[in-house]
Amino acid sequence: MSMRLTDQFTFNRQLFLRHRVRTLLLLLAVAIGVASVILLTSLGEGARGYVDREFSALGNRILAVLPGRKETTGGGPPIYGAVPRDLTLEDANALATIPGVLAVAPIVAGTTTVAYSNRSREVITLGSTDAFFAVRRLDVGAGRVLSPRSRSEPLAVCVLGVKVKRELFGSSRALGEWVRVGDRRMRVIGVLEERGESLGLDMRDMLLIPVRTAEQLFDSPSLFRILLDIAPSADSDKIEQKILTVIRKRHDGEEDVTVISQDSMLAAFDSILVTLTLAIAAIASISLLVAGILIMNISLISVSQRRKEIGLLKAIGASSRQIKQLFIGESLLLMSMGSAAGITFAFSLILIFARLWPSFPLQPPVWAVPAALLVAFGTGLVFSIMPAKQAAALDPVLALRGLQP
Amino acid sequence: MNLRDSSGWIFRALWMQRTRTLLTIIGFSIGIAAMVLLSALGEGLRVFVLNEFTQFGSHIIAVNPGKTETFGIGGLLNTTRPLSLSDASAIGRLANVEEVVPVVMGNAKVKFGQRARYTDVAGVGGAADKAWKLELAQGRFLPADDLQRARALVVLGSKVKDELFAGLNPVGSFVRIGSERFRVVGVAAPKGEFLGTDLDDMVFIPAGKGMQLFNRQSLMEIDIFFNPRATSEAMADKIRRFLIDRHGFEDFTITTQDQVLATMDNILTILTFAGAGLGAISLLVGAVGITTILMITVSERTAEVGLLRALGGTTNTVRTLFLGEALVLGLIGGVCGIALVALFLLLTYLFVPGLPVALSPTIVFGALSLSMIIGLLAGGQPAASAAKMTPIDALRAE
Repeated sequence: MSMRLTDQFTFNRQLFLRHRVRTLLLLLAVAIGVASVILLTSLGEGARGYVDREFSALGNRILAVLPGRKETTGGGPPIYGAVPRDLTLEDANALATIPGVLAVAPIVAGTTTVAYSNRSREVITLGSTDAFFAVRRLDVGAGRVLSPRSRSEPLAVCVLGVKVKRELFGSSRALGEWVRVGDRRMRVIGVLEERGESLGLDMRDMLLIPVRTAEQLFDSPSLFRILLDIAPSADSDKIEQKILTVIRKRHDGEEDVTVISQDSMLAAFDSILVTLTLAIAAIASISLLVAGILIMNISLISVSQRRKEIGLLKAIGASSRQIKQLFIGESLLLMSMGSAAGITFAFSLILIFARLWPSFPLQPPVWAVPAALLVAFGTGLVFSIMPAKQAAALDPVLALRGLQP
Repeated sequence: MNLRDSSGWIFRALWMQRTRTLLTIIGFSIGIAAMVLLSALGEGLRVFVLNEFTQFGSHIIAVNPGKTETFGIGGLLNTTRPLSLSDASAIGRLANVEEVVPVVMGNAKVKFGQRARYTDVAGVGGAADKAWKLELAQGRFLPADDLQRARALVVLGSKVKDELFAGLNPVGSFVRIGSERFRVVGVAAPKGEFLGTDLDDMVFIPAGKGMQLFNRQSLMEIDIFFNPRATSEAMADKIRRFLIDRHGFEDFTITTQDQVLATMDNILTILTFAGAGLGAISLLVGAVGITTILMITVSERTAEVGLLRALGGTTNTVRTLFLGEALVLGLIGGVCGIALVALFLLLTYLFVPGLPVALSPTIVFGALSLSMIIGLLAGGQPAASAAKMTPIDALRAE
């Protein structure tokens, strides 16, 4: 006698209908597990996507040259920026001649006070050129950016971040006004467009001035960084080598800089976040294990409650295999319904979240749903084996009489 | 029904359905274990980081140039509002100040003979070894020279010494840092990493020399170690007023070690809670398990409940009995969960001794109380439905 799938469903449905609350609770348990796996991994994946977009929003490939070098492998880059031999504007200009380098933005960085009438504010001040705007894909919301003349002349002009503008000028017009920066007076030629943090740098609370002006202001020729925009087709490793060659030639044979590529930074972030997401997924799937144990428990109970039915089935010729199949099928059916509920719940939450915080969309990684299903069905299968065996081993005569063996 | 009767009833009930009880407890204990383990990991990390910070003592105040709070690295950048060496020496003369360490950091090539190494260079004061708890392997630390006219002396980190001098004794030799020659007066003992910075791959020179070497007008930081008798607020306030007097206005940022610790503590506590929250998902599923099983139990024992009521048991008695069953399930599950974690920690301790995990009494008792509370909550609905039955219907149910 063969058993059709519909028979299986009928058998299982009877149970589900007979014990609605119990079934609902089981589904809840599975749904919680599946939903938490999907939601938590999409949190991790969302963070990864966010970082990816932050990097690629610029749409270009950036190399950063930092003064100083460290020889400990695996150590961080030299963050102090203070070295005996400065990285200078002349070095930056020399790097611009390397083929494949589209733009070079030298950066002098410092903190200084910027004041207008009786208001003042301590801000991070970047000395750079028009190339900085191109490399970082920055634009002004009003006025204009630093001109190409800023590459060589210490012009007394500045571009304000929106927050600096608001703090100093409120809602009145800033363009054309003179502000005091450190001990100098500079004319405001532009206000940056409203854009939040970019790569951890709050551009809203910054002041941009020509690089030569910054050298004078901070009385130091030393560059904090040089940013290079490289051609999409260029091989960044080769350009990195060329940068080191140029620097060596200019620094008496010393290779005293560190080159960081955006690609390698992105790769490092990626691998950290992927590991984190996997760890979170593993932790969340523990709840599926707990749900699996619960299902086994309930199956055992239902086997003992349905002894008579099982006995009857066996008496009319059902094989042990078919009985096993009935109970394993029941567990898998529960798992699939629970998973469906969990997936629906998780995705509706993700949709709601996307409505509320469009800038940080949660995106479940492609493997999240398959992995959650795999764990759910895996535990469902494993934990139904024992109850199924118990059911299959029932003696039909005793079972029909409702007696214990 | 007295306590002995009811507990007898509860335990007999659980014992009659051993398999069921066991599985419920296993499920719940896995949930508790996940939660306890993740909190223990978070707590361990918190303790580890706080220890890293407090190894220098907690009576420290750092002064950085510039008044910017938006950026953590303000002191590393150029500034038009420098902190000078004379600021540092002047602060040193304030009451209750024990040590002042001016700091300027950078990166330079250190050369001895044919060997050279790019390494971090810390320009500091003569008290840095005491303040930063640096041990010396050879020689002595930088002497307490006048900050303005410090001699060109250097203390090597252990890794730098190994790279440049191998087996030789470096004390008394000259190394070249940048363009100047420095006499080696000591070698620091290996200290390892501090928050990602390798303290062994570093050399220490006087701060004044460091400022010359890096052509900087300002110190990056002044670390002030003060007498424990003074409170850090009072000290911070005193230093703030003193520097405002010297500079004309507040163009510096003062951070007390207490603030740093409080911030760290906050962040790490949030992390611990996040970990516990992750674990709580499994616990939630375990709780659903208890509810389900108890509901089945209640329906199976309808006749028994009816009998109990008929014999004069109140609704309260019935409710208490089922709640008690839930409580016991939760409690045993909690104990098993903690045992599971303890076993796991013991194993990890055998294989990875360095792992910072702390199973504090707070976590253990918290987990136990939580298991009981969750047990009670999970048992609430089934117990209420049992209590609602009228004795007649219940007796008739079979």
